[in-house]
Amino acid sequence: MILRRYCAAALAVAALFLIAQAAWIPAKAWLGQRLLENAWQRVLAGEPDARPWPWADTSPVAELLIPALGTRHLVVAGASGRNLAWAPAALTPVNGRDIIVSAHRDTHFSALRDLEDGAIIVLRTPASEHRFRVTKQEVIDSRDTQLVIDDTRNRLTLVTCWPFDALDPGGPLRRVITALPA
Amino acid sequence: MHAEPTTTPRGDASIRHDLERDALAQHPRLVLARQRRHRALARAEARATRRARESAATGQPRRNLRWQDRVLLCLAVALMLMLILRLETAQADAAFGLELQPLADAVTAVDTALGNGTANPAASVQPDVQLALDTLVHVEVTGLVARVRVAQTFTNDSAQWVEGTYRYPLPDGAAVDRLWIRAGERVLEGEIHEREQATRVYQAARDAGHTAGLVTQERAHQFSTRIANIGPGEDIHVVIAYLVNVDFSDGRFGLRLPMTFTPRFETGPSSLAPRPTYTSVTNFPTQPGAPDRRLRLQVDLLTGIDLDAIRSLHHDVDIEPRKDGYRVTLNDGLATPDRDFELSWAPMLDEDARAALHTWDDGEYVYAQLMLVPPRDEALAPQPREVIFIIDTSGSMMGASIDQARLALARGIEGLAPGDRFNVIEFNSETRSLWDSSVSVTDANREQALSFVKSLDADGGTMMAPALRAALRQPTHPGLLRQVVFVTDGAVGNEQDLLALVANELGEARLFTVAIGSAPNSGFMRKAAEIGRGHPTHIGQLDQVGERMTALWNRIRLPAVSGIRLDWGAGVEYYPEIIPDLYAGEPLWVVARLPRMPSGVEVVGELNGSEWRHFATPAVTDGGETLATLWARQKVEALQDATVFGADPEWTRAAVTDLALDYELLTQWTSLVAVDKTPSRPQGATMAAGEVPSLLPAGSAARTAGFPATATGWKTQMLLALLVLAVSGGLFARPFFRFPKFRSPAKSLRALSVAWKTR
Repeated sequence: MILRRYCAAALAVAALFLIAQAAWIPAKAWLGQRLLENAWQRVLAGEPDARPWPWADTSPVAELLIPALGTRHLVVAGASGRNLAWAPAALTPVNGRDIIVSAHRDTHFSALRDLEDGAIIVLRTPASEHRFRVTKQEVIDSRDTQLVIDDTRNRLTLVTCWPFDALDPGGPLRRVITALPA
Repeated sequence: MHAEPTTTPRGDASIRHDLERDALAQHPRLVLARQRRHRALARAEARATRRARESAATGQPRRNLRWQDRVLLCLAVALMLMLILRLETAQADAAFGLELQPLADAVTAVDTALGNGTANPAASVQPDVQLALDTLVHVEVTGLVARVRVAQTFTNDSAQWVEGTYRYPLPDGAAVDRLWIRAGERVLEGEIHEREQATRVYQAARDAGHTAGLVTQERAHQFSTRIANIGPGEDIHVVIAYLVNVDFSDGRFGLRLPMTFTPRFETGPSSLAPRPTYTSVTNFPTQPGAPDRRLRLQVDLLTGIDLDAIRSLHHDVDIEPRKDGYRVTLNDGLATPDRDFELSWAPMLDEDARAALHTWDDGEYVYAQLMLVPPRDEALAPQPREVIFIIDTSGSMMGASIDQARLALARGIEGLAPGDRFNVIEFNSETRSLWDSSVSVTDANREQALSFVKSLDADGGTMMAPALRAALRQPTHPGLLRQVVFVTDGAVGNEQDLLALVANELGEARLFTVAIGSAPNSGFMRKAAEIGRGHPTHIGQLDQVGERMTALWNRIRLPAVSGIRLDWGAGVEYYPEIIPDLYAGEPLWVVARLPRMPSGVEVVGELNGSEWRHFATPAVTDGGETLATLWARQKVEALQDATVFGADPEWTRAAVTDLALDYELLTQWTSLVAVDKTPSRPQGATMAAGEVPSLLPAGSAARTAGFPATATGWKTQMLLALLVLAVSGGLFARPFFRFPKFRSPAKSLRALSVAWKTR
């Protein structure tokens, strides 16, 4: 049964490759936070633009804490696909007034499914610390909705994919959580 | 083997049995069954011999696949296919980025929504009360400035007291300075206050039941009007006035008013602006003659112009001559709100006019506006130049951005003329120059550059300074103007250092920035181009590349008046502070505040190596007080730009606020508020919030962002992987298990019934 053995071997290799690839995503998400930690300490110590690793093209800009969920994440600037793999990413400057932070629903923001209205979110930047209270959680369709960036309003918006357990990673729905200053 | 009838006697019982069997053996059905068995046997034997022959030929035994194997193999093949597809989609997912959609797309979205008749559930948030709306736009063009008054009527159809909110789009650079509210017989005039204070005043008045209005700047080109305490069935008239500069290009003046209202909902304080739904469209009927929402427009041109020269680009207009100019009105009186209103006219400019100066003296200061008109196109031959392209290939350009950048570069290289020289530099963490020094434009060099550009991939960090330095420090070629075309998204942290670098190293070169992508660092790009004495270009989408690059090329192909210096005399404060080069077909405005009336302004520049000199004498214009407002508006922009250079944001805020309060200007930090002193809403009556669908002009990209893809699907992948592993395990384990022998259900039943009968 040569054919069968070849098939079995090929499948086993593919499966191991897939497992490695799949496991690399949460591993990267975890590792990214650890690597950013060091850079964040340097940012807090006053080093501007501290890179978590030499060839990185972003740096940690804020710390996002949700006490109710017991989560703490370091946020990087720029929501490119590459950044999102490592850490939640801010679409807008965190020292602006309208702050939008986005992360993957199945890594950093997986806990957001249990977020309740009224929960406190703390956003700590090197310069200041803002406390926000969740005022609204909604599900929108990204195909016909846009985020409006409006610096006249002080608020924090968290964006992640929805539903949290969907098998298809490319779905159009998004969970949008709006938090106003507490 | 088939049974032969036996003749061996075995006693009575057995004889009888044999007889019966013989008889049975002749039964047609049994004969048929027998024949079938024979045939199957013959086939099996043929197969066996064939296989034996084959295995003898190949030297390998080949065994029959059982059904279990077949199922497993099918599954394996299916999984392999899935894997391949999955990897492909995973790659497709990786190529996303922030997408900034111009709102023109939204119009198509409306059409689609109308076609399907389906409303998006996310956008179905309805305001509590619908407000009807009537808009009258009155424009008065004096010289180079248009004074626009937008009169809006809010009608409360409901039986409640309401607060109306309405967002209104304005042209670029509009300076809003007036607000009037007419409620019944009372007319309130707005005052400029600091934003927070204005909001407090408004809220206090609203809560106390007074009629009140508040105009705030929501975004760069969007303003919001809120009117509190509109009584049931009551009409409220609101007038906002603003000043805007008239455009000038290709020898014609033009005025573009955003009229293409794209309805857009904003659900309360959320950051979401779902695109329009069926409902919001019906709120703004496009049927001519619809009674409750009208949009009328009237333009008075008070300048010396020819009647023939007035053209409305998208609407039918009536033009009526008046003693001091012309009046242009929409001839159906109601604009179908699907196109911007664009009016274009030719001025009776003196052929030789190169610089025109308008002034106004307010007693304390003199305000002046200087228009510099570039030399005519025909008089100029394209200049040979040296173009150095710099392309950003850092990781932030990954995805759509690098495609746009590559295409833009390809267009640029194609647009070069023989006699030019060029070079291409790419940078990420490293800087790589295609040639050590620029080369002449030949087909071979072009080919080489194009294939170099095609091979570029986005990866690595953004080390912009070495690339800029490399471009600016390359050996110069005498007689050629160096133009650096810098294609990037501007995602850098050390903006101030880079701007200083440009300022120090620029020399005679010119820097043209091409901002790529949906959310480029446009402040930095604009400032870099300003310091680089070039021009910024923004390409947001792939299909804009051709048009924008052609525009850029047309601009920089002809020689420009460079090194312009203005001599105003002492104590002048003028904007823009860095006078850019004067490119063909594009005049330049400079607004200034002087301590006293100048005798004239000396303008000195250089064109094609020779001196270009003009002297403008002041002319006092009508409506000159608008010059003060325009000057203040320019200064506000300059102050806001200063943050790019590292000015303290708090300082900027304070400076802008002071200036805006002095000049009564609406800005990001100041608002217009008007309050009626007598309460109109009775105590105890509650007020609902009504929201008129917010309207934005198509094509004017508000600051919006698309949603990044925020799912990795690693769990799905893990699941799939485990399934694959299970199948693979099954295949391995196959020889060590005895799978139950397959029987067709019919056969099993027959076997059962035989077993029952012969029990």
